[in-house]
Amino acid sequence: MTTSTDKRAADPRIAWYRNVRILRVVVQSVFVAAVFTLLFWLFNNLINNLDRLRIGTDFGFLGRSTGFQIPYDEGFDPRSPVRDMVLVGVKNTLLAGFFGILLATVLGVIIGVSRLSTNWLVAKLAAIYVETFRNIPPLIIIIFFGFAVFTYGPFPVLSNAAEIRFPGADRTGLILSNTVWGIPSFLAGPNIGVFWASMAVAVVAAAVAFGWRTRLHERTGAPERRARWSFGVFMVVALAGLVLGGDAFSISWPELSETRRRVVGGFRLNNGFISVTVALGLYTASHIAEIIRGSILAVPKGQSEAANAIALTGFQRYRYVLLPQAMRIAVPPIISQYLNLVKNTSLGVAVAYAEITNLTLTSIGNGRPAPQSILVLMGVYLMFSLTISFLLNIYNRRIQLVEH
Amino acid sequence: MADERSFFETGLDEPLIVANEPRPPREKLNPPQWLRKRLFNSWYNSAVTLVLIPVIAYLGWRFFSFLVFNARWDPVRNNLTLFMVGRFPRAELWRVVAQVVIWSSAIGLAWGAAVAGAKARALRAGLPYREDPLLAKVRRYGALLVIVGLFLAMTQTWGPLIIFAGSVASAAVLQFLGSRTAAEHVAFLWAGVAVLGVAGFQVVSGFYGNGWLWMGVPIAVAASKLVGRIEWSSPLAARLARLGGVAVVLVVAYVAYMVIDHRGVGWEQWEGLRLNLLAAPIAIVLAFPLGVALAIARRSSFPALRIISTGYIELIRGVPLISLLLMGQFFIGFFLNTTTPLSSITRAITALTMFTSAYIAEIVRGGLQSIPRVQVEAGQSVGLRPFTIIRLIVLPQALRNVIPAMVGQFIALTKDTTLLSIIAVADLLYVRGIVHAQAEYRAFGIAETLVFVALIFWAITFSMSRESQRLERKLGVGER
Amino acid sequence: MKRLIVLLVGLTLVVGACADGGDNASSLLDTVQARGTVLCGVNDVLPGFGIVDDAGNFGGFDVDLCRVVAAAVLGNANAVEFVPLTAGERFTALQSGEIDVLIRNTTWTATRDGQEGSTFLLTTFYDGQGVMVPEASDVTSIEDLADANICVLSGTTTELNLTSVFNSRGIPFNPVVYADNTGLRPAYEEGQCDAWTSDVSQLTAYKAAIEDEGGAAQRILSDVISKEPLGPVVLDGDSGWAQAVEWAIMATVQAWEFGITSGNVTGFPTDDDNVRRFLGQLDFEAGLGLPSDFAVQVISQVGNYEEIYNRHLVPIGLPLSGSPNDLWTNGGLMYVPPYR
Repeated sequence: MTTSTDKRAADPRIAWYRNVRILRVVVQSVFVAAVFTLLFWLFNNLINNLDRLRIGTDFGFLGRSTGFQIPYDEGFDPRSPVRDMVLVGVKNTLLAGFFGILLATVLGVIIGVSRLSTNWLVAKLAAIYVETFRNIPPLIIIIFFGFAVFTYGPFPVLSNAAEIRFPGADRTGLILSNTVWGIPSFLAGPNIGVFWASMAVAVVAAAVAFGWRTRLHERTGAPERRARWSFGVFMVVALAGLVLGGDAFSISWPELSETRRRVVGGFRLNNGFISVTVALGLYTASHIAEIIRGSILAVPKGQSEAANAIALTGFQRYRYVLLPQAMRIAVPPIISQYLNLVKNTSLGVAVAYAEITNLTLTSIGNGRPAPQSILVLMGVYLMFSLTISFLLNIYNRRIQLVEH
Repeated sequence: MADERSFFETGLDEPLIVANEPRPPREKLNPPQWLRKRLFNSWYNSAVTLVLIPVIAYLGWRFFSFLVFNARWDPVRNNLTLFMVGRFPRAELWRVVAQVVIWSSAIGLAWGAAVAGAKARALRAGLPYREDPLLAKVRRYGALLVIVGLFLAMTQTWGPLIIFAGSVASAAVLQFLGSRTAAEHVAFLWAGVAVLGVAGFQVVSGFYGNGWLWMGVPIAVAASKLVGRIEWSSPLAARLARLGGVAVVLVVAYVAYMVIDHRGVGWEQWEGLRLNLLAAPIAIVLAFPLGVALAIARRSSFPALRIISTGYIELIRGVPLISLLLMGQFFIGFFLNTTTPLSSITRAITALTMFTSAYIAEIVRGGLQSIPRVQVEAGQSVGLRPFTIIRLIVLPQALRNVIPAMVGQFIALTKDTTLLSIIAVADLLYVRGIVHAQAEYRAFGIAETLVFVALIFWAITFSMSRESQRLERKLGVGER
Repeated sequence: MKRLIVLLVGLTLVVGACADGGDNASSLLDTVQARGTVLCGVNDVLPGFGIVDDAGNFGGFDVDLCRVVAAAVLGNANAVEFVPLTAGERFTALQSGEIDVLIRNTTWTATRDGQEGSTFLLTTFYDGQGVMVPEASDVTSIEDLADANICVLSGTTTELNLTSVFNSRGIPFNPVVYADNTGLRPAYEEGQCDAWTSDVSQLTAYKAAIEDEGGAAQRILSDVISKEPLGPVVLDGDSGWAQAVEWAIMATVQAWEFGITSGNVTGFPTDDDNVRRFLGQLDFEAGLGLPSDFAVQVISQVGNYEEIYNRHLVPIGLPLSGSPNDLWTNGGLMYVPPYR
């Protein structure tokens, strides 16, 4: 049957305008030509209009100096080129994204599991949280934190900042104000090399311990306890390295400068960063909680019943039966929620957080060509999303159930 | 040939709305049993409950006292018109009122027609059909009704209450009448919905200029369907008659618009909550054909179509909506050589449409993938052309399967319309900024107005997501 | 398959038909006259220059200059549509043709003339950049602002000047950047910024507004950081429109020099041919595309420069006499070419 159709297709007696193979090529060429004509016409208009207005049509603006200072970034030199400004924007976006993802995941998992609790109060509270935050636009939550909590909220002005001491410490541990918060951080001391070396040794030792327990289990059937052993070995070696090396770290405490207008030392979190991170963390946590709940519910009820039949405790049931199967279902949507969070950091424009969208808008307002700047902005976000999609595809392929 | 089907019928002899099935009985516990089982069933849970109850009580008391005693609600109360319609010319507000009444009538009529159609299909399939009792209907929209009630209480005038009561009354009456119509006349109801929808739009924008094309097309489609129902002598005559109907409607629309030439309030001046509520449906309606076409192209066997549509979809889905809105704001006008520049709202809706089309394409693609290949092969075995197969066999099933996802996308789009405030298009959030730019409310009521805006969005999206869950349950999507 | 080919060929034809470019040959002046309204980009939150009252009416110095243009070009000062713009979007609105002229306290700089596709016309307000702090703070000069948070608007010359001046003097600072004053003002009033930098005219306007509405007393520092000549802006490459707008606005200064006000413009007694030519009483055509009595329309419907200034800027604390905006005969900088 197939051979005769092939022969028909190749049969020279069929007119070219009825030969399917040729027609397919013709149709596609016409379509591609039409699309390219359209794109060319649009692009041509763009170039013509830009030339008419004498706005540059190239990307040379990336090499010229920025001209303005980036808020809360003392190290940035306004004379550095726009490329560096873009990098700072990307760094700020990723910072807010990373901490937002952290907060969202922790909170989301807790609330997602709470929603399935047998305790009515806990389940209802979790349900209220999810139904509230899922249905409010994230921009409103960001504006709430930016304005109602910071600008008009209970925090004092920086010169009168609340300086809180941790019990037992002699230096200020925490500085709270309506613009900048300061928390302690670690500074590298003179023996930092010893620290890194001992960390490397500890990781190797932990891997060795892991392998040893696995082989021991295979040979003798002794319980694996791999996680406990490798973690223990890691801690012992790392602590030994810290103690022997000595003086690897110092803690940098935040404090107000003499002018009382700046915080020096420690990690400095500005109000834009905190608003965006906390708001997006809360918002995305509600979505992640729903995903987790849905994925746990999607595990067939038979699995839970089987676990109960062999008398696993509740914790064991989750750890060995439910969660591994639920994670397989849950991971792709959760990853796409992470991507949404990173894209939602662009709403930081509303609270003047210096992420890449805000900086792009500022530079456009200062005379940089708008089309190219926005294309660069889109390119940055495309890079994030393509990277994450790529990683997600790899993960999907690895965990997919192989069906025969 | 008489065409008995209505617009929205899938062409399959399956009722879209399944009869209400009885639920399994719920266990009844008296209070002490309930406490023991739900709150104190283990030491762990008891501890948690004992800690949570005072915390919740305290927080709840603080929140409640804030809302009722300490909050300053006058920024909200005194600016209600501003929140609802922004800076719409106050002299033309009657247009908005007329639009609300006309569109609620259209909604009532559409609901009635849907019920009538569902009843007819259930009858044909031999299944019983029971309509929801009135109480259940009211409960479904509880959140919305509470918000509307609060709003009406705040206005402290009779006008909004009369308008609301009038709209609900007309919707209810039309729904009742519509649900009682016989199956063959349901097509007229849908035609009426199209006319009312168009009229509601035009009562605000006015009857002039190019509006005749936008508004003539839905009515022409309705007319062609109606004309097609008549028994003609031959298929050619039917086709000619349908074309004739379309032509007549378009010509009449054109002439009417040229003659009347009545200018209303163009959409550059639509602001406030009204803009949010209109931008989302407009974007979805415009994006829908584009999204379906992209989805079909993405699965086509032509590599050129596949590559181009995949490229477009991945590009648009990879960037945040705000960057597309900024692109629209800053340089979409440069791509076209229009003599008059596009208004802000046109550009914003163009960007929203582009964005939504990519997401709809992905959703429809998922739906297309869920249709077994057998259906396509069955169509091929009957000798249908590929496009006819897609049109009559694959698409109706696929679209029916993705209705919940579509509703989810609509909900997300409604929430995303708040981004219009960043590009200085006056939606509800931006109008809130205008309220606080007034001298009296500069530093007061910040949290209260934000809570009000959040509450409005919450009520709308919560109701929509509830409806979507209900629809999912009725359609049986996701059950194994 | 056949249908697909027909569809695609049709699509190509449609695209091809649209491909011929738009017609750019006519001047904006003709377009505005045909349209019957002037689209004017203005500020809507700056007291004195461009502000909206509760009823939605625009008022202010720049707003009145828009009405001057409408009165001259169209004969009706109310044939204006005001388009409120933030600082960041004002030039893109002009470039995209959304507005015909931008009269929005915009500073004339070389980069903007060259790179924004815009042409600046005469300077209507000579200003400078200053810094405002609360009266209660102990800052008396710029050097006291080391490490301070300084509120500034994004997309303005003040942002760039702030950076270059503070860096050249070696004063570290942190800019708190907002898109418009509705976000900036609360931040300043609630203490999130230690100082607010902007044009002195803006600071004066907001100082008056804050103090009138019961806020804390404010102090404007005596340091003036830069020159800020504010004026109207039009699109590059359209000299017909640019000249029409420029001479319309210059008529207000010329009338002031002649002593013509809205009160005495009808039946202004004169033997001077210059004045009579200016009022359109001689048979004179300058080829600007404006009607011969445009000056009379402008003065009678809006007023001369002094009247406009007194109406909007004196009440917020910007005196006219002694400032650079005074007439050249009084020692100021307002000097316009003769209408001859």
